[in-house]
Amino acid sequence: MEKSKRLYVFIGILVLIGIVFICRLFYLQIIDTSNYYKAQAYGSNEITIYPARGTIVDRNGKLMVYNDAVYDLMVIPQKAKDFDKVALCKELMLDTIEFNKRLKKATKYNPREASVIYKNLPFHLYTRLQEIIYQFPAFYIETKIDRRYNINGAAHLLGYMGEVTEKQLALDKYYKPGDIKGITGLEKSYEIYLRGKKGKKVVLVDKFSKQQGSFAGGKFDSLPSAGQNVISAIDLDLQVFGEQLLANKIGSIVAIEPSTGEVLSIVNSPNYDPNLLVGQRRNKNFASLLLDPSKPLFNRALKAPYPPGSTFKTVQALIGMQEGVLTPDTKYPCHGGYHMGSITVGCHAHGSPLDLKSSIAKSCNAYYCYVYRSILDNPRYNSVQDAYVKWTQYLNSFGIGINTGIDLPEESRGIVKKPSWFEHEFGKNWRSSNVVSMSIGQGQIGLTPLQMANIAAIIANRGYYYTPHVVRSIGDQRFVPPSFKQRHYTMVNAMYFDTVIAGMANVCSPGGTASRTGIPGITICAKTGTAQNPHGKDHSIFIAFAPRDNPKIAICVIVENGGYGADYAAPIANLMIERYLSKDRSLPSQKPDMLDRMLKANLTGKSTTVKDSIMIVKPK
Amino acid sequence: MEEKLHIDWLSVILYILIVIFGAINIYSANSGVEEVLKLDFTKEYGKQVLFIGVSAIIVFLILLTDYKFFNFSAYGIYIVVIGLLLVLLATGSFNKGAQAWFKIGSFKLQPSEFAKYATALALAKYLGTFDVKFEGKRNILISFGIILFPMLLTLLQNDTGSALVFGCFVLVLFREGLSGWWLILGVYLLAIFVTTILLPSIQIIIALLIICGLFTYFNRVRKQLVFLAVTVFLASSFYVLSLDFVFAKILKPHQQQRILVTLNQDVDEYYAKKSQGFSIFKFEKSKEKEKSESKRDYSYNVRQSKISIGAGRWVGNGFNNGTQTKAKLVPEQHTDFIFCTVGEEYGFLGSTLFIAIYLLLIGRIYYLAERQKNVFSRVFGYSTASILFFHFFVNIGMALGILPVIGIPLPFMSYGGSSLISFSMLLFTFLKLDANRINEISRLN
Ligand SMILES: [Zn+2]
Repeated sequence: MEKSKRLYVFIGILVLIGIVFICRLFYLQIIDTSNYYKAQAYGSNEITIYPARGTIVDRNGKLMVYNDAVYDLMVIPQKAKDFDKVALCKELMLDTIEFNKRLKKATKYNPREASVIYKNLPFHLYTRLQEIIYQFPAFYIETKIDRRYNINGAAHLLGYMGEVTEKQLALDKYYKPGDIKGITGLEKSYEIYLRGKKGKKVVLVDKFSKQQGSFAGGKFDSLPSAGQNVISAIDLDLQVFGEQLLANKIGSIVAIEPSTGEVLSIVNSPNYDPNLLVGQRRNKNFASLLLDPSKPLFNRALKAPYPPGSTFKTVQALIGMQEGVLTPDTKYPCHGGYHMGSITVGCHAHGSPLDLKSSIAKSCNAYYCYVYRSILDNPRYNSVQDAYVKWTQYLNSFGIGINTGIDLPEESRGIVKKPSWFEHEFGKNWRSSNVVSMSIGQGQIGLTPLQMANIAAIIANRGYYYTPHVVRSIGDQRFVPPSFKQRHYTMVNAMYFDTVIAGMANVCSPGGTASRTGIPGITICAKTGTAQNPHGKDHSIFIAFAPRDNPKIAICVIVENGGYGADYAAPIANLMIERYLSKDRSLPSQKPDMLDRMLKANLTGKSTTVKDSIMIVKPK
Repeated sequence: MEEKLHIDWLSVILYILIVIFGAINIYSANSGVEEVLKLDFTKEYGKQVLFIGVSAIIVFLILLTDYKFFNFSAYGIYIVVIGLLLVLLATGSFNKGAQAWFKIGSFKLQPSEFAKYATALALAKYLGTFDVKFEGKRNILISFGIILFPMLLTLLQNDTGSALVFGCFVLVLFREGLSGWWLILGVYLLAIFVTTILLPSIQIIIALLIICGLFTYFNRVRKQLVFLAVTVFLASSFYVLSLDFVFAKILKPHQQQRILVTLNQDVDEYYAKKSQGFSIFKFEKSKEKEKSESKRDYSYNVRQSKISIGAGRWVGNGFNNGTQTKAKLVPEQHTDFIFCTVGEEYGFLGSTLFIAIYLLLIGRIYYLAERQKNVFSRVFGYSTASILFFHFFVNIGMALGILPVIGIPLPFMSYGGSSLISFSMLLFTFLKLDANRINEISRLN
């Protein structure tokens, strides 16, 4: 190409660029109208309308959690120039240093978006500010909702709310700074149902930021839609009763309806008043709860693994029968305990030999040493290790050593050791005699109260359970998550449960380990347990379900430092069952003395090992 | 003057139209909602009127100057401007952080604006020297040296935008004989650059492998073509990997974000993808963290710019009526984003007319340049048109959201004394040279 002809290349490029630019202009100005509407929105303010958060009611429709309006002072940092800072600070009773600090933080988040500068305005400030807010165009008051609780307990169950963190802001576009969301408990796990949908209102403003009416005829407005109400499975009356029974004791109660998996109550002690964690004093109260040595924020029912003690014998018996090493007629002798070589596991005085049914009613330790060793030394398996692995699979099918999947955050799996742990402890070829303490639920095994209650439910159902759930249904449509209806079968056949249940039915009758605690007229199938506590007095444990046919309630009670299972856990469980099964809750207990004794008992006073007992229940 | 001035009046009229239109738009972007129309020399639009006056005086002086002066003093001007840039660099290193201007009273003089003018003169002079043609290693090297030296100095002042402008001299060299393959290579490298940022580098290399492989297969009898395909593949792959490395490891987060915003990428999403093995080279966490402010601002500028322009629809809101403009929602609207005002207040029809007028001026200069009888005038003319074209292309492309946010002004329109004066000097120096074309012929006769 002759060089002077290259002029045409230049002209060609100019024409091409011209066409590209004009096409782009055509797109931006004519085709894509969104920019036009965005431009129209200048001179308008977008106001978020917060939806009412869903309420939470108990299974009988009693209101547990509801809302109250609170007022936040908002600022749009970019507009916050040339205003009378001193006057505003005086109204807010803030010093200017603190005010500047907050303004700087808001600017840092986003100078063009509204942030909270004063949270939870007291009512007198709210009314005062409404009169003068027009003088401060960059500021406005936003109405938000705050939680109120009808009860002063059940705090771990309901959970509390808190301000969204920067991390959560980045993850979920729903939130903006200063918003509150569920941090624990039901408030957290049902956040997406409870929170609802925010609405917005776009209003025209004049140059003094005074509202001049709706923008574009409300074309861009949207109404908030309230959060869905959650119907809980909790029986509020039973929950409160349980909290009264556990007052001045450390421990927990979990009660489940076996036929549905619905959780009737989850009691923790020590507890705290959920109303402490709302409103202006929230942060201060939270700090003092956090520092409290009795750890009121700790959710024992879901997070503390305890050695299950003798309650574990029910599980051992079921596994033994399924494995074919135990029949209902199998008898083992017991003369003050189990003696084999250097091992001795003591037992209390009772007749000998016993069959399976009586071994449960009398809670014979020796019997279960034989049972567990026969499970582990089963010649069907190549080694004790293989038999142990099989045994842990059974446990998992009972919801032990795995998460139960309850619809609350922060659940512990409990403690079930892997074979390698024992190899490390006792050498490669460890034997059944090394782990014999697990026969009776001591040693390297830990279950949360929830898991123990679930075992009671499994036995009540003769071999299966539903994932325990605290919520019955969601919203007006009564939506029930499908996972709530799914049965989980254990690896033990239904026919093996009858003997165990027959044994458990005798526990609260004459001759049983908790004979004095029974309630007339109700067949309670139960098992006592005592968890050894190297740091103080033993923990009192009791699992039970009732009635024997068509069980309505399965329960686990743990009272730390409560001694034998029959001492505290059994009476409390029996009183709970009586209360739940009575047609009229206002009727007095048939065992008024026992009720009185339990209500008055104060174990925290004499226990000097509060801290220790928490330490040992913590998983390593 | 003894002879009649044969100046190209079309160019002069287009120039005057654009300059006045610029001042009007600066007024619009600059004045508040309530203000009545009046001249206020403390405001930017007032100052721009002063700059127009100064430019007019300088233009007049240029037209009075003997045309031989420019050829004669080309190297001198070049050396003086280079000297000023060096002084700035030296003082900048004393004062921590680069400064791109000298302060004279309340006005700032930006030597980098004049460096383009000086470079155009020096390049024209060198290529216009009697025995020099743009061929032979030595001549090509010196030509590139004349361009690259001031470019480097501008770059060292952290003025990336102005430094990039020097790239437009490649167009001039193309006219003087640089092979068109170089331009094609440039476009190819740019295309690979964009795809490397948008797609996983492994995919690009595999695509290249397939294309080159097929090419080799169908031309397997022709050894030379096979060799070419293999070379292209190896060089391109190396280029892709180095780009990936430079982008992930060497560019600062704000530089990465400028590019990403232009390519319509969500910055956070992009980093998330990249850290999941999208790139061969890991993005450092700390680099991602420090982001936010700058990131928001780049995407904010472009978004607001698009909203302003989009608000104009067919005919626009009319002079001084742009709500976005009045609200000062577009940062730098009176300087680098002046086109937003045009878009919002004059709409699609006004903007199209404006683009047509501007391109007509540039095209006219190219046309005038080509009709020059001596190489000095021709090279200077091509330089003038190419500098204006590059500024126009990048500036409008940026406002329309199809090019990166590179802060360079729109000549004759954007607020700023140095830029208006230097572009006016550029244009009128060429028009003066063009006016004497007649004398040139008569003298040759
Ligand atoms: Zn015994």
